Amino acid sequence: MTMTRGKIANLLGWSLVALVLVFLYAPLVPPAINSFRDVGEGGLFANYAAILSDDRLMAAGRTSVIVGLLVALISPLLALLAAEAVRVWRIPRLVLGVILIPLFVPGISMGVATALFFQTLGISPSLLTITAVQVIWALPFAFLIILTVMANFDPIQREAAYMSGANRIQAFFEVELPQIHPGILGAAIFSLILSFNETIRTSVVQGGQNTVQTYLWSQYQQVGLSPNLHALMTILIVATLLLLGLLALLDARQTRR
Amino acid sequence: MRSALNSSRLARAVVLGTPLALIFVLILGPLAITLVVSFWQKIGFSMRPAMSFENYAAFFSGTRLDVLLRSLWVGVSAAVVMLLLAYPIAYLIATRLRTALVRPVLFLFAVPFLVNYVVRTFSWSELLSRTGPVNTGLMAVGITERPLDWLLFSDFAVYLGLVTAYMPFMVFPIWLSLSGIDRRLVEASWMLGEGPLATFRRVVLPLSMPGVVAAAIFGFVGAFGEVAVSQILGGTGYQLLGNTIQSALNTLDYPLAAAISSVATILMLALIVLWARIFDLRLLLGKIMGRT
Repeated sequence: MTMTRGKIANLLGWSLVALVLVFLYAPLVPPAINSFRDVGEGGLFANYAAILSDDRLMAAGRTSVIVGLLVALISPLLALLAAEAVRVWRIPRLVLGVILIPLFVPGISMGVATALFFQTLGISPSLLTITAVQVIWALPFAFLIILTVMANFDPIQREAAYMSGANRIQAFFEVELPQIHPGILGAAIFSLILSFNETIRTSVVQGGQNTVQTYLWSQYQQVGLSPNLHALMTILIVATLLLLGLLALLDARQTRR
Repeated sequence: MRSALNSSRLARAVVLGTPLALIFVLILGPLAITLVVSFWQKIGFSMRPAMSFENYAAFFSGTRLDVLLRSLWVGVSAAVVMLLLAYPIAYLIATRLRTALVRPVLFLFAVPFLVNYVVRTFSWSELLSRTGPVNTGLMAVGITERPLDWLLFSDFAVYLGLVTAYMPFMVFPIWLSLSGIDRRLVEASWMLGEGPLATFRRVVLPLSMPGVVAAAIFGFVGAFGEVAVSQILGGTGYQLLGNTIQSALNTLDYPLAAAISSVATILMLALIVLWARIFDLRLLLGKIMGRT
């Protein structure tokens, strides 16, 4: 009796999981369908072609790529150094407490705060301010990922390196880094995805620059969604899924090892 | 030898201390300056240093107070709905799944979280519209004769948008604390004669609370300070706290925006400090932090 009841509960539970996943993935579909509507004479991909001839959008795309790469470079580096500081100085609660704050501050508040901060310093909105606000957003994720891989690294190997005559820097680059580098690469891809998908924080500090996401958001607020914006959203979704696929591939290779 | 040791220690302090200081300044600096500016006065399109409470007075009165109260209610109730979904999901993943499948299934919940939620929210407005697939489908099957009006521009739509935006990420901290529970404690409870329900209520649930509360704060803050979901799915006039900040920004009233942001940040910090005081964080983060 209890056996069957347990089985029914399990079945109900997994049905809930499946249903939730349907609700989570359903919103990824409509942009793709809409992007092929109203194409007129221009052929099936007319809305995609329209993106290429939109100068403002292409400029926003360049900004997105530059900022994304900067964030993917800076966040993991800062996260790695912070994780190392945690280990050396044994101050995990303080560092973790501060780095995780941006996860819990409403996006628009963090945007306002960063904008005021740069205004006070006399730095006008630019690629730099956009990069800064996105680094702060990506950092908690990058930090948690890197802490996790570093926790899996046995410190005794570093001790062994010291005893074999390596100094700290050699021990890090020759013994530890080769083992944790997939985690760092994962943190970089994760940061790139977060940067690429950020809207609200960026929209407060963007000034005259647009990223693809803030362009989409401001177009929605000013004139509504046009068919080529659906094409744009499709591209953004597909690009994100491809990056996530890369992340999954990396993870699978790592686990198999 | 001694000076070599000292200089290497100094080099290490610089290499590790500089980035750490940069991080602290970049995160805490903006929040501190916001608090300062929240006491300033707006003059025309600019602002002037002052020690005035007028921004707070403007926030805690009239329609903005209504928005604050509504945001608190929406934040709390949405967080409860998110927990009711995220907890069973995390529980099943932590206790009923083969180890090899845990990461792939968790990954399934990370994917939608990482796709821009503004884009996903646009999709919901499309899916739920009067001529959208949901209404068309319901009418084709004959469940309803006319398009359902409460699907879009309603509380239903806002909650749906909030839950799909923030719930997926809440699975992770809950799963983390559930998977960290020592199996022997559960077995001990069984051996002492407790049934599965009592074991869950008295052993598993309390031990998973650090993750549950962290997830709840994340979901609450997300919903409380929301801008996009309320604007896209709530319809005209549906405002959450983030929208009040946005409209203050639209009139270039930075001091007011700073005051509202400061209230949100202080509320959140109070929740986090409370959380850190009540729970032993090693329960949640032991896995991540390793031996430190």
